[in-house]
Amino acid sequence: MTQNGTVVRLSGVRKTFGAHTAVDDFDLAIEPGTIYGLLGPNGSGKTTTIRMMMGILLPDGGSVELFGGAPDFARRSRVGYLPEERGVYEKMKVLDQLVFFGEIRGVGRSLARTRAEEWLERLGLSEWASKKVQALSKGMQQKVQFISTVLHDPELLILDEPFSGLDPINQDVLEEIVLEEKERGKTILFSTHLMEQAERLCERVCLISRARKVLDDDLKELKRRERTGVVAVEFEGEAPPVATWPGVSEVEEAGDALHLTLRDGVPTDELLAKVAAEGASLRRFELLEPRLHEIFVRHAGEPAEDDASSRTGGVS
Amino acid sequence: MKQVWSVIRREYVERVKTRAFILSTLGMPLLIIGIMAVVGFVAVLSEQSERQIALIDLNGQLGERVQQALDRAGYDVELAAPGTGTEELDQQVLDEELEAYIVLDDTTASEAVFAYRSKEPPGGVRSQLMRAAIVEEVVDLRLGQLEDGESVRRLFQGGSLEYEPVGLDEEEAEEAEAERITGMITGIAGGIILYIMMLAYGAQTLQSVLEEKQSRVVELVISSLRPWQLMLGKIVGVGAVGLTQVAIWIGCVALLASLALPTLIAAASDFEELAQFRQYLPGPGAVLLLVVFFLLGYFLYSSLFAAVGAMCRNLQEAGQTQAPLIFLIIIPFMLQMMTFQGNNMQWMNWVALFPFFSPIMMYPRAVMGDVPAWMVAVSIVLMALTVWGSSWVAGRIYKVGILSQGNRPSPRELLRWIREA
Repeated sequence: MTQNGTVVRLSGVRKTFGAHTAVDDFDLAIEPGTIYGLLGPNGSGKTTTIRMMMGILLPDGGSVELFGGAPDFARRSRVGYLPEERGVYEKMKVLDQLVFFGEIRGVGRSLARTRAEEWLERLGLSEWASKKVQALSKGMQQKVQFISTVLHDPELLILDEPFSGLDPINQDVLEEIVLEEKERGKTILFSTHLMEQAERLCERVCLISRARKVLDDDLKELKRRERTGVVAVEFEGEAPPVATWPGVSEVEEAGDALHLTLRDGVPTDELLAKVAAEGASLRRFELLEPRLHEIFVRHAGEPAEDDASSRTGGVS
Repeated sequence: MKQVWSVIRREYVERVKTRAFILSTLGMPLLIIGIMAVVGFVAVLSEQSERQIALIDLNGQLGERVQQALDRAGYDVELAAPGTGTEELDQQVLDEELEAYIVLDDTTASEAVFAYRSKEPPGGVRSQLMRAAIVEEVVDLRLGQLEDGESVRRLFQGGSLEYEPVGLDEEEAEEAEAERITGMITGIAGGIILYIMMLAYGAQTLQSVLEEKQSRVVELVISSLRPWQLMLGKIVGVGAVGLTQVAIWIGCVALLASLALPTLIAAASDFEELAQFRQYLPGPGAVLLLVVFFLLGYFLYSSLFAAVGAMCRNLQEAGQTQAPLIFLIIIPFMLQMMTFQGNNMQWMNWVALFPFFSPIMMYPRAVMGDVPAWMVAVSIVLMALTVWGSSWVAGRIYKVGILSQGNRPSPRELLRWIREA
């Protein structure tokens, strides 16, 4: 599938609910074929942003573009949207339900049935096809919801907290499918408050805190830029007295390894040379990349669940 | 449009499949027949007695007549031989050889007062039947003793109003009468059907909307459908279920009229009068008008019920919020019940023009010929306009409401929803 131009573009978007500002002065551009993560704690404005992309909410200011135009009905039908607040028709049979969702998304009845069966097979739910949805576990229901968003083979997947509530095994299954869809040329935007998940999957991330965008960058680029000069080292045998070395400002034990924080401007080569000079033999020497969580905290303060809490962290 | 069709089908199929629908559709006629059968059976059963009832005639005039009359009423009664004493019969009752015995004496012959001697009082059916049988014989006996007995007897039959049509021959008059009765039956039945349908299926629409909102499935649906498409599909789907139910019921009546009735008449000629029943069945015009009023009334109310469902968070809230709508349906039904009893108040015709009252009040008037045709036409136009307006309002409330998880809106907020949706 070929896609040209920006898939989603938000410019200066703002949304308020009464006195509460849910999203403020928000810019975002998603290029085709990427996996984009929208990260932030609960209540930071992720869902509101996504709802505006889907035309469910109208912004109070700024503009929202989907496939280069207003998020009208025709454009929205090219999106597979898994809302955060999602439910099922509990009393319907699994396959009937999926066929219904296929139909309202414009897929013919028989094609919808074929695709639904394929997906059920793929997610190991075939034997449940003629069971009522209420007989399924929460995790299985979530898989059914996911299938219902991809039945019409959309170009863009917008998944709001797709992994919440899934056990680790099913999280892996879903991650795998998300990656496969990307391989097939789809653009994927998902929101999550789980930083590790985002770290594994995303090519690009946008961090939101308290209604505002904090960071928006390529993940690798971001990590490179955010390096803090911490080196993890492990020695064979006795460790040399690293704490006394001039280039090292701080030493922290982490299991078998030592995390050395280098003083500003001290290159790693200097540290390596020092190790060689001491005659110590290395088992491991690694420049540590910051975790996404640390980057987030560094830029936005501890993720606050409560929006009413005072604004402590600022945008750097 | 294809998507609306999918919503209609889902709503229809999922509802028709439910046990509740099957039970209420088939159960209702079966229940009515069952209750009637049980009541009749119990009454008959209680009247079957293994022990004898005796009759002792101290007066000497009534004995045989009463025995025959009680026989016709279904009692096996033995007339005691003349000269049998009450002590003897009392003993038989105590020995349980007799269940009871009836004493006919001079007071019976003059005032139809008689003694029923037994260890247990007679049941309601029994005392009614015996009293009726005996009083008839006594009246007959007394009238037979009068010179102008025959004419008094006719008086007892309640007299008679003999309608003499002016400017119509007899045949036309009969037709007009049949038409009037047909209109009456159709009007009453139609009014009740409309009342039940708007109340029951309006409430189902509300429930359906609320379920989708509560289970949060609505956001999954609404990303592919415009809210009005979902609302329309829902209303049409639920309405189709209602029509199916009514069609099945009407079908049952038709079946009864065309198959069961002739069999019944053939089996027992006493029921011959029932044959007239068929000539009172409504014509296609009345049925068509019923469908028109049903569609307008149903759309009017169910769109508003859908809006109420979208406004609320749970059934309790919805129960309170729907109260005004329920009143709007019940009030015309009560007004209509007043006028069904022949209370012909002309100004009610104008009340019936109020679009929210029209389905229940105007339809019966139309088929009974109580209102001029232009009034019916005006009423239909007014209702159509109201449906248009109310569905516009309801659609806007629905659009905002289904995605709002907050408190039920205040009237002022509701106005804002309608304005800004």
